[in-house]
This record gives sequence, structure tokens and C-alpha cells, in this order.
Amino acid sequence: MSTEIKELKYSTFKTNIKYSVINTKVHNVDGIAKVTGRAQYTFDIKLPGMLYGKILRSPHPHARIINIDTTRAMELPGVKAVVTGKDTLGIKQGIWRRYEELCDEQILPLEKVRYIGEPVAAVAAVTEEIAEQALDLIDVEYEVLPAVFEPLDAIKKDAPVIHEGVERNVNVTRHIEWGDVDEAFAEAEKNGGYIREDWFRCSGQHHMCMETRAAVSSYTPEGKLTVWASTQSAYYTQALIAGVLGMREGDVRVIATYVGGGFGGKFELDAAMFCSAVLSKKLCKPVKIVFTREEDMIASKRRTPMYYYVRTAMSRDGQLLARESRMFSNGGAYTGMGATALYLSGFFHSFPYKWKAYRYDGYRVYTNTMPSTSMRGFGAPQAMFCSEQQIEWMCADLGLDPYEVRRKNAHTECYEVPGQAFIQSCGMTECIDKIEQWAKSKGDLGPNRAIGISSCGFMSGGIFNWFDSPYSFSSAVVTINIDGTVELHVGCQDIGQGSNTTMAIIAAETLGVKVEDIKVHSGDTDHCPADLGAWGSRQTLMAGNAVKMACEDAKRQLLEFAYAEMGLNIVYDLDIKDRWVHVIARPERGMKYEDLVRKAIRAKDGQRIVGRGYYTPHRKGMISPAYSYMMQAVDAEIDPETGKIKVHEIMTAHDCGQPINPLGLVGQLEGAASMALGYAYLEDLPMDEGKLLNPNLVDYKVIRAPEMPKTGMIDIETYEAEGPYGAKEAGEGLTNPTAAALGNAIFHALGIQMKELPLTPERILRALREKKEKEANK
Amino acid sequence: MINDFNYLKPGSVKEAFEMYAEHDDCKVICGGQSLLIVMRQGMVAPEYLLDIKGLDELRYIKYDEKDGLRIGATTTHREIEKSPIIQEKYPVLSLMETKLASIQTRNWGTIGGNLAHADPAGDPAPVLIALNANIKVGGKNGERTMPLEDFFKDYFETALEKGELVLEVHVPVPPAKTSVAYQKFNLLDSDMGIVAVAASITLNGDDTCKDARIVLGNAAPIPKRVKNAEELLKGKKFDEKLFEEVGRISYEESEPVADIHASEEHRRHLLSVLTKRMIKKAWEQARAVA
Amino acid sequence: MEKRALKLSVNGQEYEVFIHPKTLLVEVIRDHLGFTGTKRGCETVSCGACTVLVNGASVKSCSVLAVQVEGMEVTTVEGLEQDGKLSPIQKAFLDNGSYQCGFCTPGMLMSATAFLKENEGREVTEHEIREGIEGNICRCTGYNSIVRAIDAVAKGTYKEE
Repeated sequence: MSTEIKELKYSTFKTNIKYSVINTKVHNVDGIAKVTGRAQYTFDIKLPGMLYGKILRSPHPHARIINIDTTRAMELPGVKAVVTGKDTLGIKQGIWRRYEELCDEQILPLEKVRYIGEPVAAVAAVTEEIAEQALDLIDVEYEVLPAVFEPLDAIKKDAPVIHEGVERNVNVTRHIEWGDVDEAFAEAEKNGGYIREDWFRCSGQHHMCMETRAAVSSYTPEGKLTVWASTQSAYYTQALIAGVLGMREGDVRVIATYVGGGFGGKFELDAAMFCSAVLSKKLCKPVKIVFTREEDMIASKRRTPMYYYVRTAMSRDGQLLARESRMFSNGGAYTGMGATALYLSGFFHSFPYKWKAYRYDGYRVYTNTMPSTSMRGFGAPQAMFCSEQQIEWMCADLGLDPYEVRRKNAHTECYEVPGQAFIQSCGMTECIDKIEQWAKSKGDLGPNRAIGISSCGFMSGGIFNWFDSPYSFSSAVVTINIDGTVELHVGCQDIGQGSNTTMAIIAAETLGVKVEDIKVHSGDTDHCPADLGAWGSRQTLMAGNAVKMACEDAKRQLLEFAYAEMGLNIVYDLDIKDRWVHVIARPERGMKYEDLVRKAIRAKDGQRIVGRGYYTPHRKGMISPAYSYMMQAVDAEIDPETGKIKVHEIMTAHDCGQPINPLGLVGQLEGAASMALGYAYLEDLPMDEGKLLNPNLVDYKVIRAPEMPKTGMIDIETYEAEGPYGAKEAGEGLTNPTAAALGNAIFHALGIQMKELPLTPERILRALREKKEKEANK
Repeated sequence: MINDFNYLKPGSVKEAFEMYAEHDDCKVICGGQSLLIVMRQGMVAPEYLLDIKGLDELRYIKYDEKDGLRIGATTTHREIEKSPIIQEKYPVLSLMETKLASIQTRNWGTIGGNLAHADPAGDPAPVLIALNANIKVGGKNGERTMPLEDFFKDYFETALEKGELVLEVHVPVPPAKTSVAYQKFNLLDSDMGIVAVAASITLNGDDTCKDARIVLGNAAPIPKRVKNAEELLKGKKFDEKLFEEVGRISYEESEPVADIHASEEHRRHLLSVLTKRMIKKAWEQARAVA
Repeated sequence: MEKRALKLSVNGQEYEVFIHPKTLLVEVIRDHLGFTGTKRGCETVSCGACTVLVNGASVKSCSVLAVQVEGMEVTTVEGLEQDGKLSPIQKAFLDNGSYQCGFCTPGMLMSATAFLKENEGREVTEHEIREGIEGNICRCTGYNSIVRAIDAVAKGTYKEE
């Protein structure tokens, strides 16, 4: 690409507007609450007369429930209720509400259990201890059924049937195709192109939110239910609970003011919410259920384990010609969000390259293991681990420069992924350039140490409405009080990623006030507009656009009055910045924002200024309105005698459009790096006959401070026309490149190709041994 | 849930002995950093819990140039780590402590509790055995001292008789030109070792090996001496090939158990690598000491 | 199994509670006294969310029987601010964005506070800071912003008000 085009791009896209609030360093709006211990999580809620709930879980991976006898448990003093599938009549539910067959989970099943840890009964008692004792007094008679744990076994003809009528246990399939793939491979072969195929195995990962799943439900005699929930979407939780209890949505209030982490694991209905609600409705008393860490690990959900077959054709000069991939994912016992991961994995497996011919067939297979679902990256970290390593190996096999090959094939702005997506802003090429410069500036790193790279992209808001929400994807209401303070009501959910702060920044910028003028109200379905919640990297773009629209609406009302008040010629433009209402051409001419508000409200017959905004994507392709891009480099050293990895540094060049909250952006980058690095070499969910072998934080390893490497970010600024102030997602996509980049670092440091996650010392040593044997045989 | 228990809090060691002798089904708690976890899992559910954490009589670090180091049982890990005299005279002990779990655990957990818990992956035991330490235990019927090496009997089992408490660890003054090195292999800095090796090397004036002690951690039900390897080193000169050979003996003599963190083969391999490295490190350090 | 009276001081205030001997310190702090700033995140003394100071030293309050701190001085996150003024490390956490979901933050602040106190007046390395908080898991931030905050306080960027 020539320099002129790059410059043209920048002059076309980059705005020169000076922002007052956007991209300045501000404290999180909930910062003080969090650093002083004032922030109240669901975990902290205590209501008068509150009971404590505990859940009895299946010890079998697959079994028919013959009988549940709760008599002895009910006799224990202090026990107030025991509920089983009989109380809930086995109502099936799921988050893919548009597709009845995918709503396959009864949280208290009536007929059979399908994984170890599945709830079978729930108890409410006056203390947690009594509730726990009562669990031992529930007698469940099971008929143990043959079980199957791996997708490649479960898909066999004679495998046990997990869900009646589901052939070969295939839960969902997804086919993505463009171009003529067979012809492209045939042609590549004819023209002497290079074709390579590999199998990969990607592990699961637990979200490991520091706040385990928790809910407090309080049903009152007027027929209303309030649920404090640790959720990523108050609205989804409200609608799902109303659905399973046969209540009207409006009679269910969900409160989620502070949520101790989500990462993709907390927007389905979970057993804490469901069982506490059922118990509370039965007893008309508040009931609290908090998962222990072990429960959270065995019976919540996980990142989807995947087997990938990848076949790629590349010309001798590094043009990517065709790819066909097949993926078999371990879906576990139920659908959950996993169906979306199946699609997104296949789509982002093509990223960020311009394939003329591409085919992906994904099979999500039921097994008798805990269900898999969405987790930060949503299927893409697995897809990139396979794709970016294979491309690196192909470059090495052909003696090509991996940066040059990536540059040659990279997405560019205004590119259409055939039949799938339209890319507007795209800084991929610049990301590659910057990382190449950085890596080359490091010079020789010494033995057993190398830099590995991976590029990728991600969606900026999923255009998926499998939930069948009748509401806009995002909505916001802004109200300006007499003194100029602003109440911002949003439905987007802050789970720690800082969406409340992002929305406050966008509101302050749009209204021309300061962040401290904005009070953000979120996480309460009674008071906030509906919003799909925190998933699919959607809030900055979607809720951000809704907030911007609401604030523009309110500001327009203020400025209409200001025109009259100031008696301006209508050709002049007015604006508000830093609480100063002024003529743009003559900034000194104006009035105080507070004065304007006071007068405007008087003029409106005493009505506070209210602005409304909403956003639902239209005509934006199949996946997302916009895409972030990045390239990451991991500098790692491996002890060839022990296989131990030391990661020295992670550097990322990142195009997230216009950064809104720089402190939050760095936090997302570093947080994603630690989670993705954990996925790459530490975290795993090993099972034996469906039983998780490391259901605690001693045996399940997450990165701690000493292991966390230095991190750096090179910000590639683009302007995304679809995003508020040009912004795109930042945070989820950053989880995608790390495993692949570390794999590539190991490849360059030791010359071994790692096809299985996590990258453990033992696997590294095995690969080294195999390499030595191969060399000896030559 | 922790099962209910009766709580006994002695005011002195003497009273502790008496209480312990009087009560059957009694478990001793000191820092409780390991005990409370297994109690919460219901694996240990005693009728009585004897709390000796507050016995300051046993909370001391004493050093004498002839007698060596004496550490009372209720001394915390952090006190050992931070002790200037230990940092000076037994730096390997201090270094080992800095890698033992987290600061919070070291602040509350005690050396006596750690040794009595007898987890084969515990850090202090291999280092102390390499340092030729003794342990003093006692009860109502008197006190006795034994080499720490003889204290461990099996997984989580020790030579403590009914009614006996750990009282003190004694580390003799090391012979001249002696140094000890310790390393564990783990993936997180603060984890217990998947395996660990402590090696003590004493040199003659001519740089030949006078004495060696090699102790493997988490390689067997109890900390394991590799005496064949020690013998092989005696009288020999610094020789990396020899260290490889010694590592091979560790590989062969260890009896590690596979779990999700590493296979048996991988553990043996790691033990051989760490043995080699620790001998070399201790040897190089020993050259530098008087 | 008899309940017993326990006297302890939390954030400078004397309290007396009546508890089973098996009651953990974290349960006294949260459930009996209502200081819910202190969190719990595991059952294996792994996560550090329940970290408090006992006589100035950091401990995981889920690993300590409450009866063992009889007469001692406990400090929780609620004890860090004085008359509404934030402590230096709290301010540094705000400036560096050293928290996200905030659930580990109280425990992390207590470990940081203990580390800073222990190393007052001496220069600390980045690695020492990292080891100072290795008993605390943070799943959101990747720790580096926390390390920067502690480093800033150690370098004297923030003064006690």
C-alpha cells in the first residue's frame, strides 16, 4: 500500500476536534465506592428475615432421576422449603429464546441429569449451615446412564443419547462459506501453491470471576419479585426469570449495581438466580444463594473447548488462497450461549485476512460435561491459536517474512467480507507496521527466547437477537436538573469494565459539562431502560450511541432556548463546552450553562429537560457494525530443560477507533493479557469421567502479580463512523491473540509446533523430544 | 462447613501438655493455614481443638555460635524470613521462606504447624533436612529430640506420639565451606512445588566434595534423601558430567505420584534437572564461604 | 461447642461478639459486625479477597479463627480512610485505575497497605511489589496498574492528609 493512500485515509477519517472530556484521564465514576469498601455487591446483600439457600447437585454425569425424597430434609429444624423439578415442572429455558429447540436447560431437571454438578434440588433454611446439612438429608434415587465426555466420541453413531431426538448429539451446526473453496484448493495445487493441514486442540477455561454466582430474591405478597443478581444483563435476567416463573416482566425487578466480574459467564439464567427466585416465591421471604468457589467451577459454565482441523493454501509468495476448517466443540450438557461461540469462532478464524475462498463447518456437540458458553473472545482465542500459528509455520516452511505475508493479506478499510460483514475503519496494516518496528528494535534476545506475533480483529457489538428482545439493543434517558446536574439512566451493565464511566464521559462531552456533573444510574430494571447488557463487546458502541443521542436531544432543547435567550442570528452555531454555552465562531460570547438550564426549565413550564436515545443496528451485515484490529507480540523465554515459560513482555498495537477512557483502555489491555496468558499456558479444566479434577484456586492456576509481564500498547487511532465519537470495542478482542502469539514465540525460540492448549512444560518437553527424535532419524 | 468443636486455649506449654493428654480426639491448631482448609472440607473434624498459637514461650529465634539456631514452634514463617541472624547465617532458610505461599500465610502460619502437618510438598522440611536439623517434640511425659529426617513417617504422618507437640527446630552450625541451595519447580511463584530439591555441599580445601546432603521434596511420601547420590559426590571434583549422573540417581530413586499438574515421568525428569542445578549452585556458593 | 464472648478492636473501635469457636475472623467482620468491604472468593485460602490487617500484619481472614485474635487490633478496608479523607494508596488506586470490578480491591488494598508500611523509607523494586501482592488474585486488571499505584505511593507521590 502506498504512502499516499495512508495519508489520504488519515485525512479522511481522523477528525481534528479537540475534546474536553473524551480521551482525558478521569477517575471511574464508581471508584471511591470501590476503594473504600462501600460498593455493595449481591454477595453483600442482607435483608430482614432473609433465608439462605443451598443446592443439591448431581454426582453422576448422566442419570435418570427415579425419585427425590425430601421428607428427611424438611424435618430438619430450620429448613423452610425444599424444591425440585416437580415444583418447577421442568420448565425448559435458554437464552436463545427464538429457537425453542435450543432452550434445552431445566435448571432443576425433572427427568434426568446430564453433568456432574447439575442442580437437582434446592433448600432454603434459616442459616447457610442448616441448608447445607439438609442437602445430606435429601434422598435421590438415580438410574445411572452411560455417559460420553468428548465431542469426537459423542458424535459417533452408537454414542449415548444426551438429549432425546438429537441425532449424534449434534446440538448446533454452523456453515460459513464464500468463494469456490474446492476450486481454489485445486488451483493452488496446480500452480504449485503450498497447502498445509493441522489438527489443534483448544482447552476450556473458567471465567473465575472473583464474585462467584450469587443472587438474593425477594418475593412479596403483592406479587412482585426483586432479585439482586450478579449478572451481565439485568434485562436478560429479568425476562428469563419472568419467563420461568410465569410472571410479567414488569413485576420482576432485577438489581445489579455492582457485579464482581463477568467475562461472558454471567448473562444466562443461573441456578443461584433461579433457585432463589423459586424458593422466595414459594415462601414469600427473601432467599440468598451464593455459590462456593467449587460450585462455581463445576457447575457454572466455561470457555468452549474446541478441536480444529485447519487446511490452508498459500501461494509461494505468501498470498493466502483458500482455507477450509472443521471444528468440533465440546458443548457440554446444554446450549447456553455456546451456539454463538460456534458462529463467531468460525467467522473470526478468517480474520483479519482477505480470503477469496473460505469454508468453515462447526459442530457443537453435546457431552456429559458442564455446559460451555461464551467467554471473553467468544470462540476467537481458540480460532486464532490455530490460524495464526499455522500461518506462521507456513511462512517458515516457505521462507517468507511473516509480517510481510500478514500485511499482504490484511483487511483494509471499506472491505467487505463476502456476504458476511462490511469493514469501515481498519488500522490492521498500521498495527503490523508498528509491531514489526518494535520487534526488530529489540535485536537479538539470546538463546531459547523469541518474539511471537499474532494479528486479529474483533466485533464491536454483536448484531444478534436470538433472545428476541422487542426493545432497542440500547437505550438511554438523560434528565437535567435545575442546577445543571445530570441524571443519566442507562441499561448497559457495568461489570467492572467501566461502562458507567464510559457513558459518563460520552454524556459529559456531548452535553458540554464535566464528568462530575453526571450521575449514572444503571443495573436496575425498574429505573433504567432495557438494554441487552454487557456481552459481545457491544456497550461502548451501542449504549454509547444511545447516550450520545439522548444527550444531543437534551442539548438541542437547551440550545433552542439559548437562541431565543441570546437573540442570535440563526446562521450562527451554538455549542456548550466546559459548562459554557457559546457561539462557536465567537466563543467569548455566551452564557453559563447553569443559568441556561435554570431559565430553560422555567420556560418549559417547570419540566426538567429530558433527552432520549436508543440504538439498534440496521444494515450492518451479519456480525457487527464495526471491528477492532490488533497485532500482539509476546516476548517469551523457555527453559529447555524444564519446559518452564517466562514471559518477558507483551506489546500490542491496537486499533479501537477513538479511545474514550484512556485509563480504562489500558486496564482492558492489561486485564485481557493476564486472562489470555493464563489461557495460553496455565489454565485448564481437566476431567475424569466428567468430574472436574481442579475445582479450586489451588489446583486451577490463574496469573498472579509475579507472573504478569510488562505490557505496552501502541494506539493506532482510526475513526469509526458507526461508533460514538469514532469509538470501537476495546477489551474483549484483546483476549484473542495471546495464546497464538505465545505459541509462535515458542516456535521461534525452540523450533517446536504446539498444537494443544495450554502450553504446559510437559507438552513443550514432549515436543522437544519428538523434534530431536525426528532430527536423529533424518 | 467446619464441624463444631470444643475450644481449648492453654496459657502455657505445661498446660497445653496437660490439656492435650486429657482430651481424646483432640487436634492441635497453631496458625491453622492448612488445618482450617481440611476442616472446612470436613476431612478433619475433631471433638477438641487445642490452640497453641498464643504460646509465646515457643515463639523465639535464638542463635549461638556453638549451638547453632533454635526456632520455637510457634514462630511464624515471616519472622524466620525477616530474621537478620537467619538472613546472615542461614540465607537459604530465609530465601525458602520468601517463596512459601503468600505473605498473608507466612504472617500467620508457623514453622511448627508446617512441620507437624507433614505435607510432602512443604518447603521447610527439605531445606532443614539438608541443614541437618533436629526437631524437639514433647508432651506430659517429657521431651525428646530427633533428626528432622526421622520425624516424617508417611503422607501427613509424623513421629509425634499421642499427646506430643512440636516444640522446637534446631539447626546446628554448618561445617566450614558448606552451602545449601534450594529450588522448587512450580508454575506460579507462590505455589507449592510440583517437586523440589535441597542440596547441601561441604567442600575440602582442595575443592573436592567432603560431604553432601540431597533432599527431594514432593518426590515421595516424605522428604527423601538421595544417599547414593551423596556418596557418589564425596571426594569428587566439580564436574558437570558428575552432576548429570547425580541427577539421574534422583530420577531413579524418587517415587513421585502423578497428578493433574505433572506426570510421574515429568516429575522424575524435573527432579534430575533440579538436583543437578542445586548441587552445582551449592558447590559454587560453598567455594565462596569460609 | 459453647459460644464464647470475644473482644477485639476493628478499625480502632472495641467490639464484643458472642460466637462459636469455629467462627472465622472473616465471618465476625462481615456477618457479625457488618463490615462488608472485606470479601470472600474461595474456600482454600487462595484468593486473598478477605485480607485484613491483624496488629498491622496482613492475614487472610478466612484462614484465622476469630478466637485467635482475642484482644488484637484488626484493620479492614473501611479503616483506611480517616474522617472521609482517602489514604495515599486509595488515592493512587483511583489515579491509576487499579481496580475494575472492585471485588478483590479491598483485600488488595490491605496487602498494599501492609507492604508499604513494612517498606517505609526504603526503595522497593517492582518485583518486590509484585511479591507483596502475590497472595491476592485480581481477575480484571492484570495487576500492572496496581503495581504502578503501589510504586507511586512508595516513591512518595502521595502524602497522608
